[in-house]
Amino acid sequence: MTEPHTHDASGHDDHGHDGHDHGHGPDHDGHGHDRELPDGKLYGVLAEYDTPGELVEAARKVRDAGFTEFDCYSPFPVHGIDEAMGIKRTILPALVFCGGATGTLGGILLQWWCNAYNWPWNISGKPSWSIPANVPIAFEATILLAVFTSFFGMWILNKLPQVWHPFFRNERFNHVTDDAFLLGIEAGDQRFDAETTPKLLKDAGAIEVSNVHLDPDPESRQMPRWITAFIVASTAFALIPFAIAAKARTSRSSEPHIHIFPDMDFQPKYKSDQPMDLFDDGRENRGEITGTIARGSLNADDLFFRGLENGQWTTGYPTTQLPITEALLKRGKNRFEIYCTPCHGYDGRGMGAIPTRVASEGGAWQARNLVDASNPVAINMPNGQLFNTISNGYSTMMGYAAQIPHADRWAIVLYVRALQRSQNASLEDIPVDHRSAMQMPEAPIK
Amino acid sequence: MSALQKSLHPDEKYKAGKLGQSLSKIGMGIAAVFLAISVVLGATHGDHWKRFLYSYVIGWSYIFSICLGVFWLVLLHHLVRGRWATAVRRIAEAMSMAFPLVFVAGLVFIIPLIAGYTDLYYWAHPDAALCLEKTATGCHEYLNPTLVHKLGWLSPGFFAVRYVLYGVLYTAMAAYFNRKSRQQDETGDPNISEKLRIASAPAMIVYALITCFAAFDILMSMAPKWYSTIYGVSFWGSACVGGFAALGLMVLGIQRTGRLTHSINPEHYHDIGKWMFAFTFFWAYTAFSQFMLQWYGNLPEETVWYKYRLFGEWQWVSIAILVGFWAFPFVFLMSRWTKRIVPSLVFFAVWQLVFHWLDLYWNVMPSYDWLTSFHGGTQLVSGPLTGNTALHHVGFSPLDITVWLGLIGVLLVGFGRNLRGNLIPIKDPTLGMSLAHENL
Repeated sequence: MTEPHTHDASGHDDHGHDGHDHGHGPDHDGHGHDRELPDGKLYGVLAEYDTPGELVEAARKVRDAGFTEFDCYSPFPVHGIDEAMGIKRTILPALVFCGGATGTLGGILLQWWCNAYNWPWNISGKPSWSIPANVPIAFEATILLAVFTSFFGMWILNKLPQVWHPFFRNERFNHVTDDAFLLGIEAGDQRFDAETTPKLLKDAGAIEVSNVHLDPDPESRQMPRWITAFIVASTAFALIPFAIAAKARTSRSSEPHIHIFPDMDFQPKYKSDQPMDLFDDGRENRGEITGTIARGSLNADDLFFRGLENGQWTTGYPTTQLPITEALLKRGKNRFEIYCTPCHGYDGRGMGAIPTRVASEGGAWQARNLVDASNPVAINMPNGQLFNTISNGYSTMMGYAAQIPHADRWAIVLYVRALQRSQNASLEDIPVDHRSAMQMPEAPIK
Repeated sequence: MSALQKSLHPDEKYKAGKLGQSLSKIGMGIAAVFLAISVVLGATHGDHWKRFLYSYVIGWSYIFSICLGVFWLVLLHHLVRGRWATAVRRIAEAMSMAFPLVFVAGLVFIIPLIAGYTDLYYWAHPDAALCLEKTATGCHEYLNPTLVHKLGWLSPGFFAVRYVLYGVLYTAMAAYFNRKSRQQDETGDPNISEKLRIASAPAMIVYALITCFAAFDILMSMAPKWYSTIYGVSFWGSACVGGFAALGLMVLGIQRTGRLTHSINPEHYHDIGKWMFAFTFFWAYTAFSQFMLQWYGNLPEETVWYKYRLFGEWQWVSIAILVGFWAFPFVFLMSRWTKRIVPSLVFFAVWQLVFHWLDLYWNVMPSYDWLTSFHGGTQLVSGPLTGNTALHHVGFSPLDITVWLGLIGVLLVGFGRNLRGNLIPIKDPTLGMSLAHENL
């Protein structure tokens, strides 16, 4: 077991050459020393088999012979080899399960902390914490951690990456990721015998059995310095961004920002309302040219486009363009519910979703009550002024000219009028033959 | 022979012999008894066979889905040049040959439909799209915009044509794969495997399309105003859970008769169990995808389908399916041992077969309770318009069980008819690898 220079003990000539083949090549295994081999301790024997099936058979024989310190090497997973080698089942599935479960719980916890605890945010009145909405994230987090555990767990449990192993000195071992099916028995095994063990492997169908010796130079059995240096250096570099971020969070600086992409941050163009030397007025914005009107923008009809009649807010309605029909009223309802209800509310009383939210946050702001008979500002506005308010705004309300076309603004005016009437209706407003419905003891709920 | 190949054990009993006839006889007995009871119960139910036909559609979808599941294994095995399943492939082939009988059994609800029966599928009613809205001045009539466009597709005649088309295509594909496979038993020609592999790709596409459309037609159109594009996929996921569970039980049953005892071992059960596990999750994934998009989108015409199922009495069925069809089997089938210890696998196979039925029941039955209203002497089915889910009862009936069991009897007859000759493809080139199959 310890004799140096031992060639294959089974007496086959071709096996003995293997070690010498290693010897004359300078440095093919990357250790950087030119030396004669083999001259170290015998590490073990390596047998090559032709097919994965033969490898499985050989592994079974080696196991049955009582060996424990051996391993099989193949380019791909071989079905049934675990059982043939008699190795215990891996604990990886249990680890993956734990990783996945951590992902599930972590994903849910993250969403609860963000959405429901640390920064609850009202989005369209939806609950800030709802299990179905959390499922996709929890699912993805489960997959992520399960896969990480599986991937890195496999590497760690296999003691990979292994940068040095005595078998690397065997030339055939270079083919183990390509087309070689190898079985190696270590000399340290209790049953190992320099004569009978190679014979056992040969009898199990090996096409080649070779002895592998340790490199006599203990330096060569360590991880190459440059790998260690690389790991240390890359780890240090990876920490730099975190260090910079940590420093920036705790210190003040009068220096301007670091611009990583200056040509993206400072583009050679003008943005709206920037000063500019090119024109006399010093402005970048170029308005409409004096004395011109764009095609289709003449808007000569004061009544339809501005709600004016003889320079006064009209109390009429542009029936030339918009005959008053039920369809127009429904259109007005539809537009009102899209653009106006967030503030004014469905009933026009000024308590839409936004004022309601303001109230829920302890504030006090509400939109104009459009239908209030006791403070009839909106009721008393002429139609033209209502139209103008929608177009150009009123008090804190923004104008909606950009979003709502003229005809739709008039439709909204129509609907607001209907709303004002319905919210202040008396029994007399209801047609006679329908009044009985309002006087029923229990009004049906629709 | 290397360790990755094994030849058929010399003492192996791989001939079916009288097995098929016995199974057919058992099936016929079950079918005769339970369908007779069902007919009596259906006739005395006093609703013009409505309940009977609802139960029948559920039971029929059940036996149809099991054929779908096992036939999918046959197609996939050829498509990917599978190895492990060669030992059980003949059994799956024989089971998939129940398609013609299943489609004949389905005529029980197809024929009334063509004859003008409108209580089963409400779209069959000539005024199906007509809706009534109560207004202050009386009844306002309008055509449901979703349904009015679907009624061309969902007309009894066209529906029946498609039904026949599905039946013919499934039967033709299953018969082709059966015939060629048995031909290989005689000739041992390895080119047959290659031919089947080439045929499996277009067959898989046809299978996917007609499975999707069959699910849309037979199950999704129970709620014709509702739609979900993933519905067919989700149904197929559920079907494969049932298919693999049934395959596992069938293989075990055959082994209990002393046949195939050397060829099929826990490695094969393990793989059947893996598929069961995979589809348990796949079904849950697709079913949740369907739910979440509609829940988030919050459109009334979509959420109404779930409103019926997630509130009131049906919510308990929904919870039972979530826990029973997914959570419990998912957690336990994850482990290796639950799939390799045969009694444990049998437990989960039976369990999933029951819950697969409950899943179909949950898909179909909430449509049963749709409110009907009378207008001008014509019964108008107005669809799920009521907002009060408390009105909707699970309304379990003994018919559901008796029809289900009766149709399982029909399915067993279908299986039995084709369990003949060799129970294993003796000359398939991949058989050796399947027999020596070991899981990692």
